[in-house]
Amino acid sequence: MRSRTVALLLYVSNAALAHQPVMDMAPRWSDGYGIQTRVEYFDSDTTVWLEGVYTWDRSVRATFKLPNKDGTLGDLILGLPLKKYYNDGPSTSNWSLTPSVRLPTGNQGKWKAGLSVSYSAESPTFYQLYDLYTWGDRAGFDLNAGFAFPGKGSGTFALWDVSALTSDDGDRVQTGPVFVYFKKNIMFRAEYKALIYEHDSDWSGSYFSLGIGVVY
Amino acid sequence: MSRTIKILTMIIALISLPAMAQDYVIHVNGIVCEFCSIGVRKKVSKLPFIDRTKYDDGVEVDIENQMVTIAVKSDAVLDKKALFAAIEAAGYNPVKIYELAPDGKKIAYQP
Repeated sequence: MRSRTVALLLYVSNAALAHQPVMDMAPRWSDGYGIQTRVEYFDSDTTVWLEGVYTWDRSVRATFKLPNKDGTLGDLILGLPLKKYYNDGPSTSNWSLTPSVRLPTGNQGKWKAGLSVSYSAESPTFYQLYDLYTWGDRAGFDLNAGFAFPGKGSGTFALWDVSALTSDDGDRVQTGPVFVYFKKNIMFRAEYKALIYEHDSDWSGSYFSLGIGVVY
Repeated sequence: MSRTIKILTMIIALISLPAMAQDYVIHVNGIVCEFCSIGVRKKVSKLPFIDRTKYDDGVEVDIENQMVTIAVKSDAVLDKKALFAAIEAAGYNPVKIYELAPDGKKIAYQP
């Protein structure tokens, strides 16, 4: 039971990153907002996330993430991504500093603070994101990189994800594909990650996530 | 008599022709993803001189060449300052604007 709780906490920590599609790629326009829901399947548990973002201008956003596991609300996570964009001809990139706070809104909830530093760059055919974060006693690194296949009013991303995490409860490395499809202002994301390294933790099993989001 | 009628008919037809809307092309640095560039359409299409009946709400984005094409109403005048401000509010950096000739050639815009 403890190992499952630890593993779930690790996942809650990981999911607190602000790099999900609606949260990172868009909205980058002033007064833009978006909402998305994701269903995570992990070790026979299912967690549904409701997430939202508001963009004042491209340099300041606010995000929220609220988990619901087995009908019970978890701790609300608020983030404040601060971004510096560089638009350079056929590419765009940004550095992002994201302080986060976890509020004890769930059963046995607890306060927690986090901070992430990330860099992402994009061209019409390539996307990459690197994220270094700390969340309480945990620290991790996340990488998303792959190809973009633009269409007319739609597009597809085929990415590869590598996630590494170290904490008092154990270490792990996961990796797997990420598929993103968008049409107009709606984005669909599917993600699978297999555990390829584990140390000092009973965590096992793979991770699967499905999400859909919309931006305005 | 018939010649006069023909000339009059031609004059009336010419007067009745709607004025041609003018298209412009803007080179925008960093516009490489359609999903990320939704804001450009959102911001630019709200400008009062945009002809929303053309393209997608008056705006077409070409991410391969980082170009944004806009249609301006035939009875309106392009406001370059407002246009560039709208693109910047969408998160991008406009660089240069061109008039789009009927043959598709881009001509440097002279306000």
